[in-house]
Amino acid sequence: MVNRKLAKVLKFRYTILAAILVLLAAGLVLLPKYEKHEGINPEELLSNVISPERYITSDELAHKIINQDPSFLLIDVRDEENFKKYSLPNAINIPLKNLLKEDFEGYINQSQFDVVFLSNDNLYADQAWVLCNRLGYKNLHVLKGGINNWFNTIINPAKPNENMASIDFQLYSNRKAASMFFGVAYPEQVKKKPVVVKKVTPRKVVPIKKKKKLPVEGGC
Amino acid sequence: MGPLIPNGVIPYEWNSIIAILIGIAFGFVLEASGFSSSRKLAGVFYGYDFAVLKVFFTAALVSLIGILYMDYLGYVDISQLYVHPTYLWGAIIGGAIMGVGFVAGGFCPGTSLCAVAIGKIDAIIYVIGIMIGIFIFSELYFIFQPIYDGSFLGNITLMDSFGVNRYWFVFIFTIIAIVVFVIADIIRKKQKKIFY
Repeated sequence: MVNRKLAKVLKFRYTILAAILVLLAAGLVLLPKYEKHEGINPEELLSNVISPERYITSDELAHKIINQDPSFLLIDVRDEENFKKYSLPNAINIPLKNLLKEDFEGYINQSQFDVVFLSNDNLYADQAWVLCNRLGYKNLHVLKGGINNWFNTIINPAKPNENMASIDFQLYSNRKAASMFFGVAYPEQVKKKPVVVKKVTPRKVVPIKKKKKLPVEGGC
Repeated sequence: MGPLIPNGVIPYEWNSIIAILIGIAFGFVLEASGFSSSRKLAGVFYGYDFAVLKVFFTAALVSLIGILYMDYLGYVDISQLYVHPTYLWGAIIGGAIMGVGFVAGGFCPGTSLCAVAIGKIDAIIYVIGIMIGIFIFSELYFIFQPIYDGSFLGNITLMDSFGVNRYWFVFIFTIIAIVVFVIADIIRKKQKKIFY
C-alpha cells in the first residue's frame, strides 16, 4: 500500500525536480537586493582605526624629510588655494573631494610608498584615511595634528622652561635644528659682521698733455 | 570567504590534489551513469536518448543557481571567480569541429577518456584520433594562429554582453531549460525504441 503511494509520487519525480529548480531560480529574482559593501569588513577597519601605526608625528615626519627618506608620499588633502599658500616640501595636492577619482588612484593605491595624509588639523586627513582604508589600500598614515601642529612643533617650537626635563631640551634643540632646515632664521644665528668701510682712494688722474701744435714756421 | 584557494582558506598547494580528487569523482559518476557508451552519447543527435542534454543542462543550472545563492549569502565572491576568455571565431569553428567529431565518434573528450578507462576499443581509437588532431594543430599552429588568437572579446559573460540582470537571466534560462527537457521527452517518445 505504502509502496503504491510512493510509486504514485515518484511518477511525478521529474516534474517535482523541475518545479524545485524553477522555485529556486524565482527565489533569486524575488530576494530583496542589498548593496554589498566594497572593500574590507567593518571589524578590520575598526582594528586599523585603533592601531597606533595610523598616526605619524610631526617630529618623525621632519626626521624623514631631512634625511631625504624616499619611502613616503605626502598627500595634502586641503583645497588648492590653501595648498598654494603653504604646504610641506614635495607634498602632492589631492583635495578631499577628488580623492577617489581615477587620476589619483595611482598615488594612493600602491604598495611601494607609505602614504601620509595631511590637512590643517588631522580632521580631513582622517576622513581621507578612513575612505582609502575601507577600499583596502595599504600603508596609509595621517600626520598627527596636521599642518597646525607642524607649525607649533617644527617651525615655531616652544622654548622649554628651566625646570623641565633634559629630554625636552633635547627635543627643543632637535626641533630648532629641523626648523632651520625648513628655512627659519634665528636671531642668534644671524651674526652681524662689522662693517668694514673701505677707504676709497680717489683715482689719480694723470692728464695727458696734448702736444700743442707748433705754429707753422715759415721756412724757405 | 570563498573562493577557498584564492582567499587562502585552503593552501595553494592543495590545488592539484583537490583537482585530481574531483576528477576521479567526476569520472566515476560519468561512468556510473552510462556516459562511457558512445551509443548513449550519440543518442542526443538521433533523438532516442537525451541524457547528455539533460545532464549537462541541469549541471549548468544547478551550479549557476548555487553560485548565485552562495554569492548572495556571502560565501563566495562571484567577482573573484575565473571567467574563461572568449575568442569568438575560434570558439565557433572549434565548436563545429568538435560537434562533427561528437556525432561521428560518439564521444566527447571527457567521456572518451572515461570509456578508455573501462577498456572500450572504439574509445581508444577515438583518443588516438584526438592525439593526432592535437599533433596536426600544433604543427600547423602558424596557420591557425590568427583564428586562435583573433576576435578576442575578453573575459565576458552573457550577463555582461547583453546587459541583463543576472537573476532574471538565470530565471529565464531555467524556464528555457525545462521547456527544452519537455520537448526532448516528446521527441524521444515519438522515436522507435532502441535497445543498446
